[in-house]
Amino acid sequence: MQAQNTIDMKLNYFTLILCAFLSSCDMIEYHPYDTDIKGDKNINERNIKLIEDKMANKTEFTFAVLSDTQRWYDETNDAVDAINKIDDVDFVIHCGDISDFGAKLEFEQQRDILNRLKVPYVCLLGNHDCLATGQAVFSRIFGEENFSFTVGNVRFICLNTNALEYDYSHMVPDFGFIEDEITFYPEDCKKTVIAMHSPPYSDQFNNNVAKLFDYSIHQFKNLLFCLNGHLHTFKAVDFFSNGTIYYQCPCADKRQFLLFTINEENYEYEVVEY
Amino acid sequence: MNMKWLNIKVLLLVCFAALSSVVYAEDTDSIEVWRWDKRTDWHYDGWERIKPKNIKMQYAGGMGFMSFGVGWEYGKTGQWNTDNFIGFLPTAYSDKFRLIFTLKQTYTPWHLHVKPQFSIEPLLCGLYVNTISGEEFWEKEPGKYPNSYYNFSTKLRFNVFLGQSFTYYPKSNRYRAVSFFYELGTNELYIVSKATNKSLKWGDILRLSFGLKLQIFYPHNKD
Repeated sequence: MQAQNTIDMKLNYFTLILCAFLSSCDMIEYHPYDTDIKGDKNINERNIKLIEDKMANKTEFTFAVLSDTQRWYDETNDAVDAINKIDDVDFVIHCGDISDFGAKLEFEQQRDILNRLKVPYVCLLGNHDCLATGQAVFSRIFGEENFSFTVGNVRFICLNTNALEYDYSHMVPDFGFIEDEITFYPEDCKKTVIAMHSPPYSDQFNNNVAKLFDYSIHQFKNLLFCLNGHLHTFKAVDFFSNGTIYYQCPCADKRQFLLFTINEENYEYEVVEY
Repeated sequence: MNMKWLNIKVLLLVCFAALSSVVYAEDTDSIEVWRWDKRTDWHYDGWERIKPKNIKMQYAGGMGFMSFGVGWEYGKTGQWNTDNFIGFLPTAYSDKFRLIFTLKQTYTPWHLHVKPQFSIEPLLCGLYVNTISGEEFWEKEPGKYPNSYYNFSTKLRFNVFLGQSFTYYPKSNRYRAVSFFYELGTNELYIVSKATNKSLKWGDILRLSFGLKLQIFYPHNKD
């Protein structure tokens, strides 16, 4: 009799647990590399609209640069908290490597952390984000690999430069995209910033076209500077000895991000520790 | 969240322990009703040993949207089970249609016959490794990368799981038993992520799957 009671209790307990499990659909996963995305999608397009609307006609603004937050969830959380504490940040650029393994869950978890930012943000494609089905997931959650947006009178051009991931099957960097951006450059833009994940002369970049790339991006009106990630440490390098500085954003493990302020005449930056 | 999971685990453990001791105690008194494991009587002869003993259907669990498998049970009480699964990812959940091949090993230490035709397996545990179709995935890094560039395989996934099952033994001779099972599992990539981040909880990396197991071949009766 005692056994029977225990068993009945146990059965009830099982039913309860089972119901709890079934109600938590987030725990259902068909494969780590499936593209069945839960939650927020198409973030770049939506946030670009927010940034452009908010910043229209402004000539001075501040933005933070994050990069290489892959599998550093604790640090990324802290970075978001640190950025949220700064009052005058207008938006955030993430220079890529959101995931470490290219797995869908990583993109979702990083997205959920970045969505805690009080200001809109955009994400670039990193080389780790290209692994397996990573780019398919990236394009659904964030958007295009090459994109651009306008902040006040500054044009931001964001490019996929992870050529090693593609075996020449794909145009990286996409000079066609760059040409179109030059041709259809908005009239009211006076200055340009180029953002990418892998910098020229890194292992990922198509270094045979590094100088052509440099030439192409100088066709944009008043190129201020370039932003990149990938190599995990802070650096400011003039790769082509022509005055165009590539500011390399540290990875989340370094607990640093970059803070840029662009005003009418000039720009300033600082490396912020958190 | 962490505490909650721990509590559930501890509670389940206590439940099993209590139940097992009760079953052991009852065993000597009424062996027909509270038999420890009926399946010791299930015996296969000769070439029948290599015939698949069960077929399975599993939903999710990193093995595809649905996967279908054949399994072999062995060991004194059929405590060991080896499965081969083929799963698929339809284009609704994947960039392309994909097939996933899984080799799975399950250990089922106890079968609690709570009723003559019903048993509970309070613990299933095991490992499985799977591979996914498509040239986007590689087992070893292609030669274009510098040595040890990514240091993992996108094609092979190693998974561990814990689960439970509920089995019904019908009176008909058509099939031996049918079980419903569920599993909580995770893979090595998620374990590495959890181990290096305090902010990741067990709920963030544990994945639920469930399925049906049909034991198809009726064994000879050793009368």
